[in-house]
Amino acid sequence: MNHEIGLACIIDDDKMYVNLVKRIVEAKHLCKNLMVFKNGMDALNYFEALLTSLDKNTIPEIIFLDLNMPIMDGWEFLEKFTKIKNKLGKTIVLYIVSSSINPVDIERAKGINTVKDYLIKPVTIEELEAVFLNKAQE
Amino acid sequence: MLQNELFNNVIHDFNAGYWELHSDPDREVWSDKFYENLDYKKSEIQSTIDYFLKHLIHNDDNETFRDNFLNYRRNSINFKQHVKIRAADGNYKLFRCATNDQLPVNIKSETSFVFFIEIKLEPEEDISKDNFYYKETAQMTSTGSWYVDFQERKSYWDFETRRILEYPDDYVPSLKDSAKYYAKESRQQAADLFFNCAMVGTPFNTEIKMMTANNREFWGKAIGKPVYNKNKEIVGIRGVFQDIDEVKRKEIRLQKSIDIIASQNSRLFNFAHIVSHNLRSHTSNLSLLVQLIEDITDPKEKIDLIKEIKEISLSLNTTIEHLNEIVAIHTNIGQEKKPVKFKEALKLVTHGIGRMISTSKAMIKSDFSELDTIDYIPAYLESILLNLITNAIKYKHPDRDPVIEIKTFIKNNIGYLKISDNGIGIDMKLFKDKIFGMYKTFHYNSDAVGIGLFLTKNQVESLNGKISVDSEVNKGTSFIIEF
Repeated sequence: MNHEIGLACIIDDDKMYVNLVKRIVEAKHLCKNLMVFKNGMDALNYFEALLTSLDKNTIPEIIFLDLNMPIMDGWEFLEKFTKIKNKLGKTIVLYIVSSSINPVDIERAKGINTVKDYLIKPVTIEELEAVFLNKAQE
Repeated sequence: MLQNELFNNVIHDFNAGYWELHSDPDREVWSDKFYENLDYKKSEIQSTIDYFLKHLIHNDDNETFRDNFLNYRRNSINFKQHVKIRAADGNYKLFRCATNDQLPVNIKSETSFVFFIEIKLEPEEDISKDNFYYKETAQMTSTGSWYVDFQERKSYWDFETRRILEYPDDYVPSLKDSAKYYAKESRQQAADLFFNCAMVGTPFNTEIKMMTANNREFWGKAIGKPVYNKNKEIVGIRGVFQDIDEVKRKEIRLQKSIDIIASQNSRLFNFAHIVSHNLRSHTSNLSLLVQLIEDITDPKEKIDLIKEIKEISLSLNTTIEHLNEIVAIHTNIGQEKKPVKFKEALKLVTHGIGRMISTSKAMIKSDFSELDTIDYIPAYLESILLNLITNAIKYKHPDRDPVIEIKTFIKNNIGYLKISDNGIGIDMKLFKDKIFGMYKTFHYNSDAVGIGLFLTKNQVESLNGKISVDSEVNKGTSFIIEF
């Protein structure tokens, strides 16, 4: 059944990249709202706060996670997020979006249950559309 | 003349000279071998008994031989005796003298012979031969032998051990002095080896730094094994020292080259990774932007997006500049090491950031009394100090004014610089591996770029130094640079 995605989330410290994805999302009407965190720690704080006041409208349906970030990188976020995601009462799909083409990173990411797929930067508009469409058709 | 071929062979194998007695008493036939044994030419001497008695035979043997010989000639009475005969060089040679009855039984001879079989002092010569080989081996391989006798409480060295250790020939080694045959740092090792060998019989074969009488240090190989008596008690240690200084030094040099190459290789690899990663993020954005421009139809929006290219281009430039800086560090272009005074380098740096220091009320304490000058690229030392001091101020603790302590010291002949602060600290559990990485920041400060410590580390390492960090959250951070 098709529905419009209400909320998606980008965790990435590259302002230019975030800005561009924002524009694509707006131009293509991929989702109503987009939230951005500039590192894993900020995102984790948000999700941990959600646990105390569950409001389904503030839980993103899709997360785009970068790996290489200051303060808390993608790996650490994944580890901590995996522990709390089932308590959020909503299925969240998580994509890793990284410029790392290191096979070690890709294999590691694909071995983590929480990770739906590994997208290599630069992502294409088609790829982004497909991700949103997939989720909308669930 | 001799007719018997077999006899001829025997004579030949015996390597003996002989006389064939002639009916004419004045004309003995002396064999070639007889002349040869004494190094005479036939023309030099007369082959008569009178000449022999007068000129060749040693006085001690003269009378006995004359009597024996005449008795043999006249009455065919065989005899045996030792005679010393003067050879051409004037020295006497010892011969065993024998007659017909000494011949093997299967040879029947009508003629009377007197045999002169040279007695060579075989056993003695063998020892001197072995001794010769031993000395040659010892000298050519620089291997000296030694023996420590526990019962007599004495040490024995051969000539080569004395030579290797540069002691005079009459030097008497002593157990009491044994420590000083080794370099200071090897003395414990030597003591352990000898103790284990003496107590439980563990043999040893090791490379060890030794020291000569002239306090010259060199690499030696020490091999030792226990000596047991009949009751299976250890009564001494026997072994050799070999001078392997040249080989060992080459090995050490080779290992150093390998280490340098390995570290350069790892830095190159790291650099390639950095280049690829940092350029990729910009090209990805560029590619995404181009897609967007193509996808959008509204011309006004397109123009807006084209402005973004400028921003990407700017950040690409910054990245390239950073990369250039790193390349410059590693090639040390236009940089020359010279003596730099820490005090002066610090003065330059604090002067340059005087405003930052005064507004943050930072206090900088320095102590360069242990090491005040170092051979270094001046710009690097200033850059290192600048980076570490500005970091200390940028990441000061919100509850207190920054106090930065800068100190130099020497440990094991290596110079160190330590810079400690009382700032907010870094969580070592989380960031230990990332502190010196490029574009890694650990704080929320908006001006954190993540290039400073990366450059510092590269500068230190390009001059074969090391940098390490220790930190505790809310207490402070200290960096230690090993020059």
